[in-house]
Amino acid sequence: MSEPAGEVLRDLARLLTGMGPALAPEGSEALLQSITEAARELFGAQACSLALLTVDQSELVFTTASGAGASDVVDLRMPAGQGIAGWVVMSEQPISVSDLQNDARFASDVAQSTGYVPRTILAVPVASPRRTLGVIEVLDRDTSRPGAEHDMRLLSLFADQAALAIENARAFADLGRSVLGAVAAAAPGTPLAAALTAAAEEAGEPDGDLLRLSALLGELDRLGPAERRLASSLVEALLSYVRGRGRRPS
Amino acid sequence: MRPLLADGALTREWAWAGATGAGVDVAVVDSGIDAGHPMVGGVESAVAMSYDPEEEDGVRRVEGPHEDLFGHGTACAGIIRRVAPECRLHSIRVLGERLTGKGAVFAAGLEWAIERRFRVVNLSLSTGKEDYFGRFHELADRAYFAGVMLVCAVSNVPSPSYPSQYASVFSVAAHKRQDPFGFDYNPDPPVELGAPGIDVTVAWKGDGTIVSTGNSFAAPHVAGLIARLLSKHPELTPFQVKTVLHALADNARA
Repeated sequence: MSEPAGEVLRDLARLLTGMGPALAPEGSEALLQSITEAARELFGAQACSLALLTVDQSELVFTTASGAGASDVVDLRMPAGQGIAGWVVMSEQPISVSDLQNDARFASDVAQSTGYVPRTILAVPVASPRRTLGVIEVLDRDTSRPGAEHDMRLLSLFADQAALAIENARAFADLGRSVLGAVAAAAPGTPLAAALTAAAEEAGEPDGDLLRLSALLGELDRLGPAERRLASSLVEALLSYVRGRGRRPS
Repeated sequence: MRPLLADGALTREWAWAGATGAGVDVAVVDSGIDAGHPMVGGVESAVAMSYDPEEEDGVRRVEGPHEDLFGHGTACAGIIRRVAPECRLHSIRVLGERLTGKGAVFAAGLEWAIERRFRVVNLSLSTGKEDYFGRFHELADRAYFAGVMLVCAVSNVPSPSYPSQYASVFSVAAHKRQDPFGFDYNPDPPVELGAPGIDVTVAWKGDGTIVSTGNSFAAPHVAGLIARLLSKHPELTPFQVKTVLHALADNARA
């Protein structure tokens, strides 16, 4: 693969990665929210929440919650190396505990992480075939429901839906690598595949600010033409101000 | 070669009457064991493993006493101790502060147990990563031919999970009954055995107990039963142990 072609591939990877969020289908977050709400409703539970592993896999961050304490829970972080949720993520095994308030130390752990002290907790792993993503928890199921072992299986189905939604959203957040990687996988062992893989690796981590801007563009695309024209003129005004500022002598 | 039985049919009397698990090494591959917990009553050895990119195989091994980071390994140890009070417990801690490298650490923990010929290994954890299918399969085969019984909690989720789905291991799910010596044989694999795991009172961090549900508590019941059996019949191989459990299951003795 010639050097100019490699350069083109690297640019393509960067461009795709920057545009990913603008192209992402609407509603990943809304889907996760609806999954936690549906699970809470089905189990007659006080709360349901989803916590995802951080990039370095040392912490769990609550990204989505419904029910008691929901507004306090979102964005809370806790070490992945402790607690019921941590063990579920590490072991990839579901678990339920039914007498939390008998154990003051344990209950305070949970209270700190969820803003709500439950009597019971049901937690199952959220994972795709490639990786473990996090944990989904249901607090205080309706006591008249069948045993926890039954609801564990049901909650696992919700967890699978959540895993699909998360993996889809992440594929768009890293579109450059995803696309080049997919094309490379279709031509294994060829010089083209090697060049594609190299370009995908060099595309690097997506830039946070650009991803945010790209996501906003995606949102604008779903609004009307008037909003898009307004946004364009705002961006043009900003750019002309910035360019003008750049020309001024310091 | 000795026959499985001197005379007559397989009975519970023959299998484990008077047995205590004495002389049998049982490893718990989990989050560590609090050796001082009253339901555990001490451990024979302990090793803590963690991911370390500086090490040749990416795994750091630290021998010596350690604490249980979560409480779950202690829960499993307490169940095994209850069923086989005189067995020798070994803690192999593979779950730690972060998930990074878990597959490699988990596999190294299992290999540690197999190399030391611990006769029973409780695995109330699993991995669903396809990348590890081959590695765990190779370890499961090694264990089988070395006479090491791998007792695995089934993950209870629809997707594949290793090593619980391999044919050579003892795969266990929870059933509703509470009798710690009761177990069922499941004629519809891949899950082979049922044991108590629903609303069981188990040891946990800080010398306390919790009431909990999960297949991860069913596996140590079976691990304890196998330890009892082996303390009376140490010559049994994994397939002979499966034969005995099949013959003596609650639902096979109608």
